[in-house]
Amino acid sequence: MSTTSPKTIPVDPLESAPVLVGRPDDVALTESLLRPVLEPVRKGWLGLLGILMAGMGFWTLCLYEVLFKGIGVWGNNIPVAWAYDITNFVWWIGIGHAGTLISAILLLFQQKWRTSINRFAEAMTLFAVAMAGLYPIIHLGRPWLFWWLIPYPATLQIWPNFKSALPWDVFAISTYGTVSFLFWYLGLVPDLATLRDAAKDRTRRIVYGILSFGWRGSARHWQHWRVGYLLLAGLSTPLVVSVHTIVSFDFAISQLPGWHTTIFPPYFVAGAIFSGFAMVLTLMIPARKAFGFEHVVTPRHLDNMSKVMLATGLMVSYGYAMEWFIAWYSGSPTEWFAFYNRLVGPYRLIYAVQLFCNVVAPQILWLPRARTNVLILFLLSILVNIGMWAERFVIVAVSLTRDFIPSSWANYSPTWVDWGLLFGSMCTFGVLFMLFLRFMPAIAISEVKELRRELEHEDHHAAARTAAEGA
Amino acid sequence: MTSFVLGEFGEEKALLDAARALRAKGIGTLDLHSPYPVHGADEALGLRRSTVPIVALVAGVTGAVSGYVLQWWTVGIDWPLNVGNRPPHSPPAFIPVTFELGVLFASLSIFFGLLFAYFRFPRVHHPVFEVEAFRSASIDGLWLSAAVGRTEADEVAGDLRRLGARTVSIVPEEGTP
Repeated sequence: MSTTSPKTIPVDPLESAPVLVGRPDDVALTESLLRPVLEPVRKGWLGLLGILMAGMGFWTLCLYEVLFKGIGVWGNNIPVAWAYDITNFVWWIGIGHAGTLISAILLLFQQKWRTSINRFAEAMTLFAVAMAGLYPIIHLGRPWLFWWLIPYPATLQIWPNFKSALPWDVFAISTYGTVSFLFWYLGLVPDLATLRDAAKDRTRRIVYGILSFGWRGSARHWQHWRVGYLLLAGLSTPLVVSVHTIVSFDFAISQLPGWHTTIFPPYFVAGAIFSGFAMVLTLMIPARKAFGFEHVVTPRHLDNMSKVMLATGLMVSYGYAMEWFIAWYSGSPTEWFAFYNRLVGPYRLIYAVQLFCNVVAPQILWLPRARTNVLILFLLSILVNIGMWAERFVIVAVSLTRDFIPSSWANYSPTWVDWGLLFGSMCTFGVLFMLFLRFMPAIAISEVKELRRELEHEDHHAAARTAAEGA
Repeated sequence: MTSFVLGEFGEEKALLDAARALRAKGIGTLDLHSPYPVHGADEALGLRRSTVPIVALVAGVTGAVSGYVLQWWTVGIDWPLNVGNRPPHSPPAFIPVTFELGVLFASLSIFFGLLFAYFRFPRVHHPVFEVEAFRSASIDGLWLSAAVGRTEADEVAGDLRRLGARTVSIVPEEGTP
């Protein structure tokens, strides 16, 4: 590897750490970034995959229970018709949003630090959306009839009710899943070609050759590719905001105290990005260590992601405060009671977890040292994941336990199938992610090469400036 | 019968200069191949502005309009459904699906338009891949390719050597349309 020492590069004093350690040449970059795919299978990877597959097996068992016995195997009841399933749905879809934010919005803002984490985050989006999409479908009770939600000229001679938020959800989630996949794959095509060309064995060359469609790095193609990629980023940006807005409409346009709130769309979007960045950290911190991506995913990336987490965490905290304020200011006794019930009712412990994990814990990120400490960040990211799940549970299920008429109140407690579907989906997500890390380029290689060119250009200018000042 | 003349260059500047020089001579169809988009390639090859945005705009507007019409006709005209006494034609309620379908159509047109119409993919077997060293085009190599008549091939190969190519190869294309 021909790397120049990081010390020789003039560093902007305002920048705490570089976005790319050293200036490895293209061969070294390709080699180091493709190593997880081209090296022999590691025992650790196989072991972890095995554990996750066991979890996935349990998840399949739980799905079997739901499909063959019906949703009565859940703890759901009337009034708590939406509980773990919808909580999990909102949690997973929210996690997905950080991937789109990193790959699309930061691309439009020309944030250089996004380049080495975007592919990773996009894959996370894709798998999170796959997990999310499952829950509303199994919650239908008869999921094999899910296509009734699609407007087609059926013999039933009836159409979906487009004035309800639930058909909006169908369109939002399916569009989001599709566009995320297209964006991810379009970015992958040049890297799959790199993988085809770097692979030594015939099988990989053929498989990646087919997957890359015959990409030959043509300037005539790059020209359109760049425009198309940027346009997809531009389209994904409002899309990601619209998706979580529509998810929040499922609640906000209803009448239920605790759901009927105009602050939901922005507060849900901020919460989605908050939890998604936490998930990127949860996945990235072990992966960069295990696969030796530390030269492209530097402390600078961790620092920046922490700052986004801190900012969105504060927005979420503002949302919590504003919910309380409006509950009091509205003068509506049922609304006030819904919040009073969160604080002192039977689910107060979950509300306390929510407040601790989402409001109190992230404040440690004000300390610059905490923002680059992988251990603190890893633990915090897990706390935030838990806290955001608790938030969705409090909103979805706890609001339902206490509606307008005390005679219809009922508590909710989950069954083993509820728990199994939650933890099983994490394992399934993990399996998909492990397979992605092994078989696809997890870092956008062509983009890192382009980034290296840009940074060299900057180094050059910085060096020239220093020389001019010295003279 | 066309032949592909391939030249490999060591740095971007030499590559772009060679492309400009060959273009000035009016030689065949030129192309550059690189592992990342080279800045200035569009200008050196004299490429026109990409038309992808127009395709995306047309598709996006089509998607949005059809999304709106779909909702207006199904729940407003064909089967007016009274839920919460909202009017059969409720524009605010139709916005989310209209927006989503606009984005969906635009994205599909970009992806499939690029791959199948602009790039003419899938094409896993292209004459340039005949050169074993061309593998580097996706790793660290900067290549120039020129599709020329078989008779011109040797002359262009000579030009490429003169313009600083490190290696030059000629691939005759066999029986492709």
